[in-house]
Amino acid sequence: MRPICLIIFATLSLSQDLAFGATDNAYLAELVAKSRQLRLAERQEWLKLGHYVPNLISSGVHGLVDSPRFYNAPDGKGNPQSELEATLASFYSDIEESNEQQNPQCVFVARFEWLNEQLAFDPQRLPRRICKRYQQWHAALNPDGLTLVFASAYINSPSSMYGHPLVRVDAKDQDEHTRLLAYAITFAANTDESNGLAFAVNGLFGGYPGAFSILPYYLKVREYSDLENRDIWEYQLNLSQEEVDRVLRHAWELGPVYYQYFFFDENCAYHLLGLLQVARPELELTGRFRWWAIPSDSVRAITDHPDLVKKVVYRPASATVVRHGLGGLDKPERKLVKDLSMKRVAVNDPVLGILPAEHAAAVLETSQDYVSYRRAIGKDDVADPAGLARELLTARSRLDVVAQTAQIPPPKVQPDQGHRSSRVALGAGRKEGRGFQELSARATYHDIMDADGGYARGAQIEFFSLTLRHYDSGKAQVERFIPVNILSLTPRDVFFQSMSWKIAAGWQRVRTPDGNEPLVFSLDGGAGGTWSNEADTVLWYALLDGSSRHDSALANGYALGAGASVGGLLDLGQRWRMHGYVRSLRYFLGQRDTTRALGLEQRIALGRDIALRVDVARNRESERSYNSGTASILYYF
Amino acid sequence: MKKLIAVLSLAVAFPSAVMAAQDNVGGCGVGSMVFKGQSGVGPQVLAVTTNGISGNQTFGISSGTLGCTQDGAVRSNMKAALFIDSNREQLARDMSVGSGETLASLSHLLGVEAKDQAAFNRLAKDNMARIFTTESVATEQVIVALREVLASDATLSRYQAAL
Repeated sequence: MRPICLIIFATLSLSQDLAFGATDNAYLAELVAKSRQLRLAERQEWLKLGHYVPNLISSGVHGLVDSPRFYNAPDGKGNPQSELEATLASFYSDIEESNEQQNPQCVFVARFEWLNEQLAFDPQRLPRRICKRYQQWHAALNPDGLTLVFASAYINSPSSMYGHPLVRVDAKDQDEHTRLLAYAITFAANTDESNGLAFAVNGLFGGYPGAFSILPYYLKVREYSDLENRDIWEYQLNLSQEEVDRVLRHAWELGPVYYQYFFFDENCAYHLLGLLQVARPELELTGRFRWWAIPSDSVRAITDHPDLVKKVVYRPASATVVRHGLGGLDKPERKLVKDLSMKRVAVNDPVLGILPAEHAAAVLETSQDYVSYRRAIGKDDVADPAGLARELLTARSRLDVVAQTAQIPPPKVQPDQGHRSSRVALGAGRKEGRGFQELSARATYHDIMDADGGYARGAQIEFFSLTLRHYDSGKAQVERFIPVNILSLTPRDVFFQSMSWKIAAGWQRVRTPDGNEPLVFSLDGGAGGTWSNEADTVLWYALLDGSSRHDSALANGYALGAGASVGGLLDLGQRWRMHGYVRSLRYFLGQRDTTRALGLEQRIALGRDIALRVDVARNRESERSYNSGTASILYYF
Repeated sequence: MKKLIAVLSLAVAFPSAVMAAQDNVGGCGVGSMVFKGQSGVGPQVLAVTTNGISGNQTFGISSGTLGCTQDGAVRSNMKAALFIDSNREQLARDMSVGSGETLASLSHLLGVEAKDQAAFNRLAKDNMARIFTTESVATEQVIVALREVLASDATLSRYQAAL
């Protein structure tokens, strides 16, 4: 059968060949003239397909794609008109589709479709190519819907600290139970760099090419929810079939291209929105992200269009499943889970047989989930965990009861419903009897005093936080500038033994023995543990701290210190949070000093994006103690 | 700025960068590589899709490689194998309780009709230990065992064709 098909195909393509190849110059000129008359190159649809954005300073636009082949005209990256004309000309190309190459009509399948809609190509004078590879790909994806998937924050990865979005292509023959089989379109920095420093530097300054890829959704689910332990949110989009196909055609165009990848602005969130917004001519998703794009804000860009989201589905991470499973057990059963998982009790131990079948099943399921979780995070203190997992599963399969792991309810607040990720604050206070006014701004994104809804509890990620202070005595100055401030307070218990840590770098006022307060660069870090109560209203932490300071005003130009901090966060209802802390550091090298701080911070949320803060502290520096207090109003935007 | 970068890299850059390097195997030859490696083809497909970004290829797939995918879409004869290989743990777990989305997705790939769904789930649960004979069983053997189990059932035997 196959050779016959081949012959037929060869004949077909031969007969088609006769029609292709020669450019109908008169018709091309006609099309170009018509496109100018209709001013197609100025239309949103064309600008979006070319990823053109306005220039920052001069007038005009530039294209964001960095692979030269994406623009047909030599000046196409800066000139949408000449790009449009060159694209029209390229449609006469005689390139035959093969595994190595495609005809421009197929490479730019979305552009062809849109230009055809606008200019109504005469198939006699501009013969249409058959794009077999695109058609096969489209058929394999079988799309009838798109979903924006958001994997929540993963503080231990630089590219995912804010969470990570992807676009899922939902197929016609799938339902909610078989969504694993959908495809996922992702955008990521393309590198196998294993050096952390090089990764950070290149990521910040666009040193890596970023590219789209497409792969089965189950691979991403396994990666996020099993390996990285991140809850996943799926925002099903309300798009028509034609809108879905428009996005898919453009995804095909973007498959082979690359962009310079920048962590802060031109990142995964930005480019996925750039892909999605081709769905509708009037849909504008990327415009607001001029300086930086936070992935959770990409979800907001979608949910801000009320008609765009059809349904939101929550997919809990493996640790969430374990926690939920444990919540359904009583205390002796929980102990049994721990004992089974640590091989302190054998799977065939009679103690399981005494339990009612449902309870035994619940214990076995949760034990297995816990063993898998520990394997995924690399705990290897139990011999042969894979064998243990199989034993637990086998024992479970012999119990004739239905699955005991109930549907896990989603958190009350979705990632797009938390406070906005930038913040300004206006405050007033006193320090050692001197009154002052303060203005603060933070680029991104969340600190432990902000309301947790939509964010990971105990995870603080702040970038570029600046505080200006004006004293009544007339002095206005920079009080603090902290480019990076990360604190991870992850509660520990019998089942989860996460470490808590912090790292911060920036400039802050330090009192020197001569009574001055220079702005000193300081690099601080710490590690320790955090504990929570069962109702999740209290967090206690204890950290060992290290600190190094650098400034010419310090003796020998630096100070190196070590110490500890202890604190507790207490929630009194939804709005009010208190944070009490004690911190002491001994600087034993360079500029010697012993500093102490005792403080109480309070936050009252007045609305989702507005809050009150009242902070009081007693500090000791350079042998002198002083009191300070600030009241401020915070606005998130 | 230098200091900021040092801090960033110290704090956060290591885990994912190291993981990316480990995953970067690449390639997925028909028949041979799918079943060879214990690490699974999942990571390899990931590597393929994120490899090479030169102009002619769509979604970074090299046409010269006999891959599991064509232009990023999994070849139809590879679908079930790749799925089982990438979801072994979750599949074994779903089989042990006789329900779950991984098992539902597998039965969808095998074309199990709605009227046979309950029987399929039942069969998978009863034979979980036979399908996953040991903790380190190769995917190829999982498929062979699954085929045998299906063949042993009069109504469900027709679904083994998709494996």
